[in-house]
Amino acid sequence: MAATGISESPAEATPRTTPAALELRGATKEFRLRRSRTVTALASVDLAVGNGEFVALLGPSGCGKSTVLRMLAGLDTPTRGEVLVNGGAPAELVRGHRLGIAFQEHALLPWATAYDNVALPFRVAGRPVDADRVNALLSLVGLEGFTDARPRQLSGGMRQRVAIARALVLQPEVLLLDEPFGALDAVTRRRMNFELARIWADQQITTLLVTHDVDEAVLLADRVVVLTGRPGTVRHVEDITLPRPRDKALTRDAEFHDIVDRLTALLDEGAE
Amino acid sequence: MNRARTTVLTVAGTLLLLAAMEGVGRLGVLGESWPPLTQVVAALDDPITRDLLGRALAATATAAGTGFVAGTLVALVVAVVGALLPPLQPGLDRLAAVVNAVPLIALGPLLITTVGREGTPAVIAALAAGFAVFVAATSGLGAAGAAHRDVFRALGSSRRATLLRLQLPAAVPLLIDGLALAAPAAVLGAVVGEWFGAPRGLGVLLVSSMQNFQTDLMWAAALSAAVISLTAYAALAGLRVAAARRFV
Repeated sequence: MAATGISESPAEATPRTTPAALELRGATKEFRLRRSRTVTALASVDLAVGNGEFVALLGPSGCGKSTVLRMLAGLDTPTRGEVLVNGGAPAELVRGHRLGIAFQEHALLPWATAYDNVALPFRVAGRPVDADRVNALLSLVGLEGFTDARPRQLSGGMRQRVAIARALVLQPEVLLLDEPFGALDAVTRRRMNFELARIWADQQITTLLVTHDVDEAVLLADRVVVLTGRPGTVRHVEDITLPRPRDKALTRDAEFHDIVDRLTALLDEGAE
Repeated sequence: MNRARTTVLTVAGTLLLLAAMEGVGRLGVLGESWPPLTQVVAALDDPITRDLLGRALAATATAAGTGFVAGTLVALVVAVVGALLPPLQPGLDRLAAVVNAVPLIALGPLLITTVGREGTPAVIAALAAGFAVFVAATSGLGAAGAAHRDVFRALGSSRRATLLRLQLPAAVPLLIDGLALAAPAAVLGAVVGEWFGAPRGLGVLLVSSMQNFQTDLMWAAALSAAVISLTAYAALAGLRVAAARRFV
């Protein structure tokens, strides 16, 4: 069994590559409930994702992992601490239309075709639609024949693929994925994981994937950051040195299962 | 099967209503002022009556149509301004509620003296239709889901782009519901406006036929107003079915 480089200290999530593309420094997020009561979703989280790195943020539901992603997308701000994207505020990246994002809810426009949904980021950015690029992405996610289909004519897996094509169409510097396959059945989900691994191998965009599926995290990521508890804190960071490209054969690999079991046990402890 | 059943029930209900109207008239239970339906229709055999009614119908339809279009446009502009400038939103909502709270009937004499007899029906129609459209447009512009709004924000969308590409298309089904309510309101507004002494229209015909005991003509005018209302409503309801297929 090969060594898988477990970090000594959970807080030390900084990778060796510099400078970090995504960074959280002591980020704490509190949500205000009614009256003066507040709930702490994240407590002093440190996290860094290097350029071109694929990091999976693994945790049980309710541990604040989606909050991390929302802060990096500029959709939420930390109560204390810092959230940096390429050394600046997340809003700068967003303003430059250099962020790609996909959620568990596909959030496709129901009145637009698959083509128009993938072309949306061009239109929102006020740029002419690059039809070749849109078509290339639709075929990259295996939907050449469905350019004129509306979301409700597509299956759940197809909708999610359109959403991922939309996230990639402007060649973003950063890709944020919030449980993009969370609503799919297990078989489709695994197939989508391998597709994403293939697509990512082509482009190597800095990616943060939020998930509660341990297999998915290990299959896709260079590094898995385990977040547990309420409030969420970084419990463990695991470097995944499994060789790429990663395909179906990997799911039968002993080392893969070893990592998965270990991380699952960590999540289990954290849930208690 | 469900659709066929709905159609059968609709036709049966309509026939029942018409038969009841005819029956009440024939039996004379409500006196002279309620003629049988057939007698009202027969009155249209007279070319002079038909001509009179036709001209009144055209005038009312024009006033209601003008008011409907103008009211809708103003309401849309105000709703869009509210969506683009959120701080204004509560104020605009309250202003619309105040405008709606003023009874249209009380505005009549005021409008006669300001916009004149010719313009009053269309203005009242616009006020009646505009409120329905404003309420529908405001809730429609806020109808897009949280996930959609997040995607637009994360894509770096400007307020204008979000309005054009997300909020307006998402508002279409509710907006059409609003238009379907606004069309009958515009017809009602136009007829009320004509009561105050417009030169022509169904409202004028209603008042004069009532004062001259021309019962058949009065009923013909009232039924004509109902027909315009129902036609406009039916057209928009059809549009709603088409929109539901396209926008949901």
